[in-house]
Amino acid sequence: MMIKASMRILALPLLPIGALILATMPILHPTEAICAEQPETVCIQCHASLPDKLGAPVNLWRNSIHAENGISCNSCHGGDPKNAAEAMSPSKGFIGVPSETNVPAFCGRCHPGVQKDYLASGHGRALGKGGPTCVTCHGNHQVLKASLDLINEKSCTRCHSFERAKAIKDAMQQTEGYIEGIGRRISGFQATGVDTERLGKGLFAVRNRFHTLFHEVNVARVKTESTQINTELAKLDADLKVIEESHAKRRVAGAIAVSCLLLIALLVHLLRRTYK
Amino acid sequence: MALLKRLYRWVDLRIGASEIVAKELTGYLLPRNINEWYSLGSILLVIFALQVVTGMLLMVYYVPDADKAFKSVTFIMNEVPYGWLIRLCHAVGSNMMVAVLILHMLSTLFMGSYKSPRELNWLTGFILLTLVQGISLTGYLAPWSQLSFWATTVATNSASAIPVIGPYLVEFLRGGKLVGPPTLGRFFALHVSVLPVVIAALIGAHLFILKRTGISTPPFGSSETAKPWRAESYSYQSHPGGIPFFPNYALQDLTSICIYFAIFLAVVFFAPNLPFTPDAFVPADPFKTPAHIKPEWYFLANYQTLKIFPSELLGLSVQAIAMTFLALLPFIDRSPERHPMKRPLFLICTVAGILLWIGLTVWGHFS
Amino acid sequence: MENDGRRKFLGVCLAGATAAAAVAVAYPVVRYLGPKSRQAGAEKLVLSASDVPEGEAKFIEYAGASAVLVKTKTGELIALSAVCTHLGCIVQWVKDQQHFLCPCHGGLFATDGTVLAGPPPRPLAKIPLTLTEGKITIG
Repeated sequence: MMIKASMRILALPLLPIGALILATMPILHPTEAICAEQPETVCIQCHASLPDKLGAPVNLWRNSIHAENGISCNSCHGGDPKNAAEAMSPSKGFIGVPSETNVPAFCGRCHPGVQKDYLASGHGRALGKGGPTCVTCHGNHQVLKASLDLINEKSCTRCHSFERAKAIKDAMQQTEGYIEGIGRRISGFQATGVDTERLGKGLFAVRNRFHTLFHEVNVARVKTESTQINTELAKLDADLKVIEESHAKRRVAGAIAVSCLLLIALLVHLLRRTYK
Repeated sequence: MALLKRLYRWVDLRIGASEIVAKELTGYLLPRNINEWYSLGSILLVIFALQVVTGMLLMVYYVPDADKAFKSVTFIMNEVPYGWLIRLCHAVGSNMMVAVLILHMLSTLFMGSYKSPRELNWLTGFILLTLVQGISLTGYLAPWSQLSFWATTVATNSASAIPVIGPYLVEFLRGGKLVGPPTLGRFFALHVSVLPVVIAALIGAHLFILKRTGISTPPFGSSETAKPWRAESYSYQSHPGGIPFFPNYALQDLTSICIYFAIFLAVVFFAPNLPFTPDAFVPADPFKTPAHIKPEWYFLANYQTLKIFPSELLGLSVQAIAMTFLALLPFIDRSPERHPMKRPLFLICTVAGILLWIGLTVWGHFS
Repeated sequence: MENDGRRKFLGVCLAGATAAAAVAVAYPVVRYLGPKSRQAGAEKLVLSASDVPEGEAKFIEYAGASAVLVKTKTGELIALSAVCTHLGCIVQWVKDQQHFLCPCHGGLFATDGTVLAGPPPRPLAKIPLTLTEGKITIG
């Protein structure tokens, strides 16, 4: 009897230990939100405290997609980001502010494809003759992730009427929606084990082709390209529909199988009852 | 039908089949108040059999080579007719096996069927639990996806906290410093040959011990539920006046199995994503750990426990103590009382333990 | 007894349902294990005529099996199955003798596939080929 009681006591600590663990969990394990912060460049350190025109770019840049991806002042303007004495030295590659006609080349060092598309377009041909440069639409320091919203009435009517731009935007928005939709369906299928390699590569190619359209301003060309892109997308769509159909068939077969099993369970149960 | 009768008589004359049928089937009496929970054992047998069959079928097309494994699984899922079905049955089945095993263990706990004279059954069952966890872990690596690779890395890493032999043990498990082709080789060998054989042998032992001791009576429906077992001599616990296994309880087993299959197929056909995360369909990249790598749901509590304790050794020890306690339960809890409502301390501890495990699992999922 | 009747009825229903279930399980397994269904029209193979010099034989794969393209000394192009009709070994080209020899049991075949000697019961199967502008199309 005594042994039994002492054995029972062994079980007793379980409850408070469990409660203790539950209670102290939040304390013992602090949250692990650590933002990966890069050390600030000397450019930011100095310019942040400067007034007006010299200091304004800092805050604008902080909101940009460049800042999000660790691209600081020296990535575009050159100079030494760690040494204040050499920060603006031409020997360390400092370029300073590019002139208007040099803006596309300035941005094109990292965005060569876009530069090529832009220079081939109506906007590019008007460079230096009153036409827009990259920064006209994208801004210079508060550069945000590119989206079709950059084509808007306020921005485009600075130089001309909005109708052509609107036509382009509408065509592209429809295509973009189509691409996104197909992209989502492909990801959905990949998560169920469907081999989406060929489809994924196909969409990747079409998407890249679509992106080259962004800087094209010739409405007719945009419309023809968009139609061709949509044909490609329709092919991918058809392939996806085939997969969707076969999956729907599987679900029907599944429903039949599950119902049959439940029926069999019922029959067996009734059979059992005849033996009671 | 006459032909079948003649066939039966032919076999009976040679091996005494009717004797066996009378002893094991129609003459094997079970307690009158037996309930559906007693079917869980048969369900587990069926699940195991299905895992073996689907596993063998998968082996026809699967290649256990680190360079080819992922592609072979993609081939099975997309090109082989009904390959997706076999693979999904195997993946869902492994999760179901763990879930049903937990239910089987819980029902045994609540009905006090682990108590004397059934300690051996409990012990073999406990070993089976660890083996099933092992076979799930080794099988997880086979597809060689990002999920497989990194979940295995995390799981094998935990052994490093063991003092003295820890780091060597990790290398021994992995066949190298990091998870790689040698790991796949040994895990595959364990998964398809060693572990199934050992599990089958232990199931055999588990069933043999059950048959020798005699099945327990559920502690419900009678006032006297605390009959102490007298350890003087061996005696088979018979149930005179009970219901025959065949056809009565066999049909109950069959009903339960059909219901299990209905649930199982419902998951296979309507929630095929359940056992997978998107990382399960990306080939393993030893240089890129994806965010939010987590072990399977049945390991989440262990994973979270290790995260709580500042020292991994402490975390492992706590788990080891808990598991040892569980394994030795029949030797710790010696009271003859079997009705759950008449064992308040046991009930509190068990329910608290279950809630703790669920809490840790849920926390592990969101952390 | 009413029970007996009910039992028989349920037994019959169950037997039927089980048989259906057995077929429903067996069918996917058989399809899973079976060989890949061959496409009705096997793909054609295109080669350049200069690939096969005179008096030489080129072994290729066609329709999932071994085949051989031979250009006789008279300039004639012939496509044959390279599978010996005796027991399935792949024949070899004997250049000095301008015939095929099977290494397994010594069967001999002429350039047009006929059996010259040995155990093969039938000639080597001919494969259709067309020659257009220096390109050979097999199939």
